[in-house]
Amino acid sequence: MTTNTRTIQKPKPNFETKSWMFMRYSAILLIPLVFGHLILQDVIVGVHRIDLDYVAIRWASIGWRIYDALLLAFAFAHGVNGIRQVLNDFIQSDRGRKIMHWGLFLLWLIVTAIGAIALIGGVRPIS
Amino acid sequence: MSNLKTTMTGYASYRGREGHYSFLLHRITGLGTALFLIIHILDTSFVYFFPDLYQHAINLYRSTLFGIAEVGLVFCVFFHGVNGLRVAFFDLIAPRLWSVPKQRFSTKITLLITLLMWIPASAIMLYNMLYHNFGWFGG
Repeated sequence: MTTNTRTIQKPKPNFETKSWMFMRYSAILLIPLVFGHLILQDVIVGVHRIDLDYVAIRWASIGWRIYDALLLAFAFAHGVNGIRQVLNDFIQSDRGRKIMHWGLFLLWLIVTAIGAIALIGGVRPIS
Repeated sequence: MSNLKTTMTGYASYRGREGHYSFLLHRITGLGTALFLIIHILDTSFVYFFPDLYQHAINLYRSTLFGIAEVGLVFCVFFHGVNGLRVAFFDLIAPRLWSVPKQRFSTKITLLITLLMWIPASAIMLYNMLYHNFGWFGG
């Protein structure tokens, strides 16, 4: 008796597959980054001790700037892609999705650019 | 609009118990965190663009209303993080373990870990708020 075998080629990952993978891999990275940020800034330091000088002292260290750059890059992309995945449940037409995807992409680009400029430019003195 | 109604009805009437509730909670906490994150990136960028206004933004965050919202935000982030780690573990490392009993058990563990992290964190944040905003504990 012969056995018939059939090989199925694994399909090339499309955009949605990559986005699905990105959410999970970025999640693993974001656990220490975001939990650390929250426990430090909200719980240990607290908002009552945060002001312009605090940010200036913090950003004087390149390590904290890199930490914040990673947060900006990964947390916000993860967040905007999450909003996209939720809205895909509600918007089913190709046209609607196209408008929504471009709108969210622009939102991501503009907000990330604003954050990156501030992060690179640093704290400016009060005039 | 019919799409919205169909999706919302599905969200509300699907009876998947623990897995369903953690799906809904994951979405709500994720959306809440993402919306806050947009505001938070913009307010922090004030240190470069409008340093004179940064203290005004911080004063808003120090108010009692935002202090309570902050406690809620920390719950959102902790739950979304722990539950996200659970999903990533099953999807990437052990997809064979996706089963109803394991999901029911692991969602309960997720909630337990979240509460174990959130309760002490919110106690410290509430202490800080009562100290600074209401003068308790000698503040």
